[in-house]
Amino acid sequence: MHIITHTCPSCGTVVAANELESDRVMKCPGLGCDTVLRFEDLPAEDREHFLENRDQYQI
Amino acid sequence: MKGVLLSGGSGTRLRPITHTGPKQLVPVANKPVLQYALEDLREAGITEIGVVLGNKGREEIQEFLGDGSEFGVEITYIVQGNPLGLAHAAGCAKDFVGDDDFVMYLGDNILQQGIGELVESYRAGDYDAGIALQAVDDPRQFGVADVDDTGTVTRLVEKPDDPPSNLALIGVYVFSPLVFDAIERIDPSWRGELEITDAIQLLLDDGRRVDSHVVEGWWKDTGKPEDILEANRLALENLDGAVEGTIEEGAEVTGSVDLAPGAVIEDGAVVRGPVAVGSDTVIGEGTYLGPCSSVGPNTTIENAHIESSVVIGESEITTSGKIVDSLIGRNATVGTAEGLLPEGRRLVVGENSHLRL
Ligand SMILES: [Zn+2]
Repeated sequence: MHIITHTCPSCGTVVAANELESDRVMKCPGLGCDTVLRFEDLPAEDREHFLENRDQYQI
Repeated sequence: MKGVLLSGGSGTRLRPITHTGPKQLVPVANKPVLQYALEDLREAGITEIGVVLGNKGREEIQEFLGDGSEFGVEITYIVQGNPLGLAHAAGCAKDFVGDDDFVMYLGDNILQQGIGELVESYRAGDYDAGIALQAVDDPRQFGVADVDDTGTVTRLVEKPDDPPSNLALIGVYVFSPLVFDAIERIDPSWRGELEITDAIQLLLDDGRRVDSHVVEGWWKDTGKPEDILEANRLALENLDGAVEGTIEEGAEVTGSVDLAPGAVIEDGAVVRGPVAVGSDTVIGEGTYLGPCSSVGPNTTIENAHIESSVVIGESEITTSGKIVDSLIGRNATVGTAEGLLPEGRRLVVGENSHLRL
């Protein structure tokens, strides 16, 4: 299964796509980090893959 | 080599304790389960650690671990969110791991002898993965490995009806970055999870070498209350107690006792080790604290009889009834019903509690 993650450019915290997608826009969950992370930050092909196979990423 | 410490999971089997916090922070010998794994990684020379967080208890785990500096390690958080399986958790760590080998450690497992030998064994050969094994009585409940004379794995089977050996996979793995390619190529199992055993089997199918190491000493998966009590017993038997608190004259203390700063065993109390007593806790007069008990911080125990139990902390226990093999959550009050009319026990019990009266 293709696992899609996004790494916060400020602090290195990694967030899985399912988490990003459910919030669309979120404050980075890294300690003391105020960077805003967006589902749109992911490359277009990853976003497309995720949305097409969304069921796989839910439980 | 890096470390990936898994700290997700819902902890349903440890309710009600896990209603208020993640299972990885339940204390064993007054130390959160997760800390044992973190210390094992550090002792194996692994200080760059990715901590994988699920949906539950994230803030508590981040608050406890911080940036890792307090534990002599450097922590990066990896938010997995949905619990999509161990291979998904590993896959989420791909960017963190980069081109390094890594140890994946399940944060609710405790190993008596750490992971040094497993890591050494993996490093000594030309392997792409290494698994920790332990002989178990009923291998049909586990993932089971078939290994050759040199310890190289030939096959993995999940919960087999006809097990090829009694060697079960336990919660520690070593991987080269090749595992990420295998994870990309596997599909979720019937239970909707991406299984790490499927990824390892794929490595084997590709002709990759997978090492195994049979772990000596005990291993405990702390998923259920009885496992916590058993792990607590085993960990206390391992513990070299340090007396940093006060033992009053007239207190009767035998065996190994770990007494944190500010803790007091009062005149008239009887304590038989191995026990651990947390900071600022008072073991009062008339109390018997028996072997294999841990009492967390800021707790008062008076005229009670407690053995083989874990009292997590911030509690008050003054009942005259005997408490054995019990797990008591934070901020609990266990008083006495003696002299109250009508006669009988008085309970305020949380959801999913288990009592035997
Ligand atoms: Zn960040």
